[in-house]
Amino acid sequence: MKVFSSTCTFDYSWDEVSTANWRKYCPWNDKATHVVGVDTISRTVDPKTGILRTERLITCDQSVPQWVLSLFGGSATSHVYEISYVDPMAKKVTMCSSNLTWSNVLNVRETVVYQPSSVLSAATEFSQEAKITALCGGWQKIKNKVEEASVERFRENAKRGREGFETVLEMSRRVFGEQRALENQRLQA
Amino acid sequence: MAASIAPECNEIKEYAHRLSDSTRPQPLTWHGYRKYDTCFLKWYSEKYLRGNTTSNDCEALFTKYKSCLNKILKEKGIDSMLDDARKSSSETDAEFLRKS
Repeated sequence: MKVFSSTCTFDYSWDEVSTANWRKYCPWNDKATHVVGVDTISRTVDPKTGILRTERLITCDQSVPQWVLSLFGGSATSHVYEISYVDPMAKKVTMCSSNLTWSNVLNVRETVVYQPSSVLSAATEFSQEAKITALCGGWQKIKNKVEEASVERFRENAKRGREGFETVLEMSRRVFGEQRALENQRLQA
Repeated sequence: MAASIAPECNEIKEYAHRLSDSTRPQPLTWHGYRKYDTCFLKWYSEKYLRGNTTSNDCEALFTKYKSCLNKILKEKGIDSMLDDARKSSSETDAEFLRKS
């Protein structure tokens, strides 16, 4: 197993980040064009804790080399299962995802947490940890290679993910601002 | 939010199609709360985050969207993949579904 982890700070309040997070893969994010579908499967609020629990299916069209496709006999479409928890009192979002496609070959488990920054006001800390395990039988050496290549890919995607989310945050702030102005106008009219 | 994997469910899910989808040019406007994703976002930002966690404004829309989606998931065989993955959700529930 290999572990990839990273942290960063977004210059937006936790309320803004946790709201925009639901739109992370919207058309504003030009860095996530491989995500072709985001579907909510279930959504409930725990009556005791007020924690919002959401299950989603994320569908991606990966740029996978043709030989990989013919080897595994699959298609370029892959699915990810994501379960998330929002604790509005503690101001904490936790998202856990795992791959549904090729899960017999490679197991990727990612946990992402968004929390208010402990040092900056109106900023949000993002932390990400992925555990990658190659499951294919055979030599340890090959498994290591597969895991290393996957971690490298994860690192590149994480960078793109951050950049894309920054755009979504900026657009969300603008649209929410415009929406609020419109509603104020309507109230005054 | 992004589109559904089932194009026929987008009508109820989300009005904002991909910008590159020139065959169906639709403006990225913010009105029309009849779509589930938009309804949810409004509820989340205006009620849920402000402490009104018991309201369920979007339940009817979600039920409609889910029944559309479930049909497609079954057709594509994704439902059984999901069932397997959901088995492990009891672990994350135990960890994150309690007060921190």
